[in-house]
Amino acid sequence: MPDEALRAGAVGDSALIARAAEGDERAIGPLYERYGGVLYAVAYRIVGQRADAEEVVVEAFAQAWREAARFEAGRGSVAGWLTTIARSRALDLVRARSRRDRITASAAADRPERSPAMGEFPLDPAGALDLDERARQVRRALESLSPPQRQVIELAYFEGLSQSEIAERLQEPLGTVKTRVRLGMQKLRESLRPFYFERGR
Amino acid sequence: MTRPDQESLRDLAAAYALGALSPEEAERFEAVLATSAEARLDVSEYREVAALLGLGGPQAPAGSALGDRVLARIREPQPRTPSRSRSPALWAALAASLIAAAGLAASLLATRGKLAAVEDALAARDATLAEARQRLASREATLEAILAPGVRLIQLTASGDPEPGIQLFWDRQRHRAIVNGYRLKPVAQGKAYQLWFITDGKPVPSVTFRPAPDGRASVGAVPLPADGAISAAAVTIEPASGSPQPTSPILLVGTLPES
Repeated sequence: MPDEALRAGAVGDSALIARAAEGDERAIGPLYERYGGVLYAVAYRIVGQRADAEEVVVEAFAQAWREAARFEAGRGSVAGWLTTIARSRALDLVRARSRRDRITASAAADRPERSPAMGEFPLDPAGALDLDERARQVRRALESLSPPQRQVIELAYFEGLSQSEIAERLQEPLGTVKTRVRLGMQKLRESLRPFYFERGR
Repeated sequence: MTRPDQESLRDLAAAYALGALSPEEAERFEAVLATSAEARLDVSEYREVAALLGLGGPQAPAGSALGDRVLARIREPQPRTPSRSRSPALWAALAASLIAAAGLAASLLATRGKLAAVEDALAARDATLAEARQRLASREATLEAILAPGVRLIQLTASGDPEPGIQLFWDRQRHRAIVNGYRLKPVAQGKAYQLWFITDGKPVPSVTFRPAPDGRASVGAVPLPADGAISAAAVTIEPASGSPQPTSPILLVGTLPES
């Protein structure tokens, strides 16, 4: 298959992962174009700085490449799988950071140089617009939640806290936290359904 | 499935997709996932929601060369077959470095390849370590729950060869129990073991569980019936979704001391 067809989105996500599992590295480029921005957004939100967020994205794609054969299409979308990997790596990094109690100021100085091979990966303009539109919708959906609902969801997803840990941190009953998570997520599920990443399945 | 306890387990789907369940809760929920297509749909939708959440925060542009770094990383020589054991890679890297030390031609390229292999092996170790740490945390939580004051051990026994058994750690203060089964025979597809609390002489349904291939099963934080005097706990084989009343003979039983 020509590279053009891979880039143009004619090949579905699951098919790209299947190609990656067979060792076809050309599958990673289109996946990066589609989801690199989302993974970076999740990573940045968790680690809070650019150099580390970029490293998380690189690690996440490397892991997806190594473990492509383990992806199970029946259990969710490729976007969901990739962001789950990126979130775990980002939380690992934050935990390691706090364990070492070290500010990674030096990482910021370690900026990668712009590579001349960049031309290989033109940013897909349609994809980028898509992401901006999604980001607007996600912000709108989050704003429609009550602040306590939004708070518990963000503590769980971006700080990796369990519901019991959230209850402890907020000094609220566990049942209250669980209800907020459930109702908030139900609301998001309804309002964000048209913007799910699932495609090519 | 409209039983109240099933509903509440399905309610865990959102928290599960957010990674906000305790290890014990996640384990219980995964048992539900295995048998409920509805729960699987819930989780896959909530995962989509979670995947979008990152976009709700302040956006900062990534470096323009990030795509190239991603590609460069996957092009580095590295073991990538998931089933392959990681330690051979480390051995290979060590052996390769010995050869290099012996003065055989070691080009810059080869050195970079070895470095990548060592880095990868280290990353694999890190991942294994993280998994082990998580397992340990889960074990610690279970141990703490078992060692809490007021917890009693009730042994559920049965005849058989080898003899299966279930330990029920009964936490009267927190009104819950931990189930730890061993040498349990596998159950047929669509079936599961179900725990019953004999309360005021009647069986009250509790959790269902399926043993692992090694015959072990453990369920944490099993709630006890709120009212009535519990005199015994018993286990039967039921449909995987659980029964309101036992439909098969009692396999294991143990009596609870008077509280």
